Amino acid sequence: MHPSSSRRDFLFQGGLGFGTLALGDMLHAEDIDPRSQDPLAARAPHFPATAKNVIFLFMQGGASHLETFDNKPILTKYDGQLLPESLQDFDLAQINTADAKVMASQFPFDKYGDSGVEISRLFPHLSQHADKLAIIRSMHHELFIHGSAMIMMHSGTSLLGHPSVGAWVVYGLGCESDNLPAYIAMTDGIFRNGASMYSSGFLPAVYQGVDMRAEGVPIQNLQRQSDITAGEQRLLLDQINAWNREHRQTRPGDSRLAARIANYELAFRMQTAAPELIDLSGETEATRKLYGIDDEPSARFGKMCLMSRRMVERGVRYVQLICGGWDAHGDCKGNHQSQAAKIDQPIAGLIADLEQRGMLNDTLLVWVGEFGRTPIRQGTNGRDHHPYGFSAWLAGGGVAGGKTIGATDDFGFNAVEDKVHVNDLHATMLGLMGLDHEQLTYHFEGRDRRLTDVGGENNLAQRLLQA
Amino acid sequence: MIRKFQQFLVVMFVSFLPTVVCAVDDDLLWSLRTSTRPDPPPFESLKHGQQVRNAVDQFVLNRLEEASLEPAPHAARRTLVRRAYFDLIGLPPSPEQVDAFMEDESPDAWPRLIDSLLESKHYGERWGRHWLDVARYADSGGYETDIYYRNAWRYRDYVIKSFNDDKPYDVFVQEQIAGDELWPDNLDLDPRRVYIIPEKKQRHLEARIATGFYALGPRVHESALDAKRLAYETMTDWVDATASAFMGLTLGCSRCHDHKFDPFTQEDYFALHAIFASAREVELPLWNAMGEADWRQSYPRVLAVEEARKAYRLFEAKTAGQTLSPEQQTRKQELLAAIGQAVLALPEQTGGQATIPYDGLMHIPTASILGREHPALIRTVHLLERGELQKPGKPIQSALPVSLAIATQTPADLADPFTARKRFALWLTKKDHPLTARVMVNRIWHWHFGRGIVETPNDFGNMGQPPSHPELLDWLSTRFVDGGWKIKDLHRLIMNSATYRRSSRFGDERALVKDPDNRLLWRMNRRRLEGEAIWDSVHSAAGTINLAMGGPPVAPPLAGDEIASLREKWHWVVSADPAQHTRRGVYLLVRRNFQFPIFEVFDAPVTAVSCPVRDVTTVATQALWGLNNHSVFRQAMQMAGRIVTEAGDDRTAQIDRAWRIALGRPPTDDEAESSLLLLEDLETETAMPLKNPPETLKSVSPVRAQALTKLCLALFNLSEFAFVD
Repeated sequence: MHPSSSRRDFLFQGGLGFGTLALGDMLHAEDIDPRSQDPLAARAPHFPATAKNVIFLFMQGGASHLETFDNKPILTKYDGQLLPESLQDFDLAQINTADAKVMASQFPFDKYGDSGVEISRLFPHLSQHADKLAIIRSMHHELFIHGSAMIMMHSGTSLLGHPSVGAWVVYGLGCESDNLPAYIAMTDGIFRNGASMYSSGFLPAVYQGVDMRAEGVPIQNLQRQSDITAGEQRLLLDQINAWNREHRQTRPGDSRLAARIANYELAFRMQTAAPELIDLSGETEATRKLYGIDDEPSARFGKMCLMSRRMVERGVRYVQLICGGWDAHGDCKGNHQSQAAKIDQPIAGLIADLEQRGMLNDTLLVWVGEFGRTPIRQGTNGRDHHPYGFSAWLAGGGVAGGKTIGATDDFGFNAVEDKVHVNDLHATMLGLMGLDHEQLTYHFEGRDRRLTDVGGENNLAQRLLQA
Repeated sequence: MIRKFQQFLVVMFVSFLPTVVCAVDDDLLWSLRTSTRPDPPPFESLKHGQQVRNAVDQFVLNRLEEASLEPAPHAARRTLVRRAYFDLIGLPPSPEQVDAFMEDESPDAWPRLIDSLLESKHYGERWGRHWLDVARYADSGGYETDIYYRNAWRYRDYVIKSFNDDKPYDVFVQEQIAGDELWPDNLDLDPRRVYIIPEKKQRHLEARIATGFYALGPRVHESALDAKRLAYETMTDWVDATASAFMGLTLGCSRCHDHKFDPFTQEDYFALHAIFASAREVELPLWNAMGEADWRQSYPRVLAVEEARKAYRLFEAKTAGQTLSPEQQTRKQELLAAIGQAVLALPEQTGGQATIPYDGLMHIPTASILGREHPALIRTVHLLERGELQKPGKPIQSALPVSLAIATQTPADLADPFTARKRFALWLTKKDHPLTARVMVNRIWHWHFGRGIVETPNDFGNMGQPPSHPELLDWLSTRFVDGGWKIKDLHRLIMNSATYRRSSRFGDERALVKDPDNRLLWRMNRRRLEGEAIWDSVHSAAGTINLAMGGPPVAPPLAGDEIASLREKWHWVVSADPAQHTRRGVYLLVRRNFQFPIFEVFDAPVTAVSCPVRDVTTVATQALWGLNNHSVFRQAMQMAGRIVTEAGDDRTAQIDRAWRIALGRPPTDDEAESSLLLLEDLETETAMPLKNPPETLKSVSPVRAQALTKLCLALFNLSEFAFVD
């Protein structure tokens, strides 16, 4: 029944990114099979997937590829000199390419693991997992200001109003949690682009990410008013449900009314489930240590990483963690040193923890910022925004690590070899999740929209799976 | 090639009009053909002919009978009165207003109710808000920094006033697209009239403010860093918003290639860019020479603030790192107080009899509107290969989309840049334009029924949905135009039909199977209230709603968990006056990057592009809001206080009053009994007294007060509270 394709009907059911198994109990026979209508019901991928969940590690502000994963010794040689003329006419945000001077990488690189991939000394913990990382050194797009570039990295276009990657993934695969959102975003500071970082855009609002906080009340309105006791709330809820059921019984053929009753129960359950999720008191000392939770400056991001493991364990499909502060216009060295210290042990701990629990194979980790940073100097020792060539890495979710893909030119300026556009990265992520980026479409404003717009040709998924 | 051929046709139709038009017409999209007024199916031929109230019913019943579907009976009067209030003014009827309608047994009680609601000033707030969805209205620019639009609200108030004035829709369109070109009078206000703006100039001023439609789109802060791209994105916003809002067309795809499904080429698209290339955003001062003189006279007071601040900064620098001595502490307080005094000495209004408040700290009141770009600065618009800025092709002149020019028998060319917008607006509002009236009539229908005759109100192209009742749409559209584009007439026509008055609770098995989406309107659609209407309802029930109209946007206080995702605290500067916190939803601050939490939870439109249809989701965060939100609880206390004031301390009377206020009806016997049981269960010895009860609740015992509050909270959470039958 109800084979409707209309957008509105599609939205009548469902929770806040919850699978609605419990909905079945609430529904009466007249009210359709819940799973056929639930927009968040877990769905089979287009083809067999290696990754079931994603943890997207976003380095907000733009981490320098030249200080992290893209070793360019020539920068040391040309330190203080002008760029070659061929690179002098590219627009950048704040500096003039023609008269700015090259700046050497601020950190030495070493080879790590059996594979010997090069990583800078910024990441002593993470580099121990070098053989699990697939590093892309040829990321690129053309937007050199934060606002547009972050929209690009999260939604595949430079314009507001498009769904974020997580929204597309949940739209494609649904949710496996009964009482937690399918898509959770968490930041160590602020969402620099506001809700557009986890927006459902033109997709139905059920696919929107929920911004959850690592401390205090994790989700808006999760806590009872202090004037109401737990017992009173249960009493009220039972009465509300009873009245709402009566209301529904005299109004046939409106599935929203049943969904509403189910959602009151879901909300009630979430009041327990969400605080339990962020409560780390049950984790062992060893686990806390692994993530660097009891040390500064890794404590905050360490907690977020540990929570993200707990989310994935509980069936959350897409987790987005944001680490702010990478916008190193001045003192690139000092900035990146303290930034890396915030995330190095936490991310390494996350990889190790997922692995020891047998979850790494199902969970795809993606590390990237909205752009890299210029090979040329800004001010005395900073670097400006740089979208024409930068780095990202993927791990877990079936990705065979210990490899690098693509390359920038000698100066780390333009991606030149095996170029990977943001649309390609997104196509790759979907591919590892078993979703064909050309088939995952939603009709909006006159055409079938895709996360990858008209791009995504360089889908790396198959290559990443091969050792 | 195609374009050449079309231009050829344009030339041809002048001399060979009938043949050419017919030739084109055969393949023409339905929505691009001029409407002719069809005759309604005669009611003698209808089985349910006796139900017909007006022609709307003839069209609808005809389709129902063809499909052998039984129409629902009329809704109960009590249902109708609530439906009409929410539909037309977005506020619940008070128990007295419900009673007045229930007791009015005259045959014209219903049409009179509609007339009185259309006369209410709250009508414009309700229907203006609908239009603001279409206009992608927001008070900020979105993207990273979400820059603040100080005066976008003047456009919001313009929209509300236009609906209240029943401004003909053709004029409404003309004003927004080309108010500056069509109402170009010199607005320099006559200083001899002191502060009063003469009526004729008011008219021109209003038309100019209308072009604020273009000034409130999304905008990147760092635009100076990437000026060419950002100018291009702005132009794209302008053209896409114009096409979506006024033409019901989604032209966005044509930016990159010829439209695959509709008769629009990439060249058509950039020709629309060219129409707007000669415009730019300007700030229009909204006062006269006397006001400005007042401002200049008082300007030294601004300097005084600046100097007081400098004095404090100097002190701060001098004492940096020191522990302040008692004398220094005193000095610091004096300096801070001096800043405060200087700020308080700033005038808040111009002088004279009719005073105009300054915008902020002595900022001249302005509106952001469209004006003319300096001729030397007008960018040449190029056709861009794949829509990419780096790949400019040939230059493009302003022109109408060729297929539409042909369909409307108008030359496409609009070469003179300084009349292009004006001519475009006049062309759009030609009486026989195939799109303009149809698109608006369909929007009105959509907002009445929850679904348009065309389900995709912003897409009348081949990728949109075809109309469910094409003849009805054409009949309404032609009648709309012939009657002078009056929207209120359309409301009367629609709401006086039997179709509008049907019950939504009818559950005919056959109809549920055959037409589960109710496309043929065998019953009324049940509507979930929008976030704004829920906000307004909660405050109406509590008796706290502040029905003041217009003015700068209001920011009510937020709880800690609500502001956590705010980029910086300055993005939500809480309005100081508590009376402002309970204004209607339409007046609350609309930030592109941070939606007011309750609106976000109840599917507020994404303001990036025109929003023709709001989502209606049912999600758990809505339940969390209703159960736990701080402002909902406060309003529940206020409502309990109101009930005590109006019904005294008698529980039966309280329960009766509570249900009437919340739902517009008395409780059934069962509901009254379960309410009483609930109160008794809550009135335990150990119940905590409310921490901050309102004065009105202090006349009953604390145990009673908390129980009654919780009953009110339960009522706010009823499906019946959030849905309109």
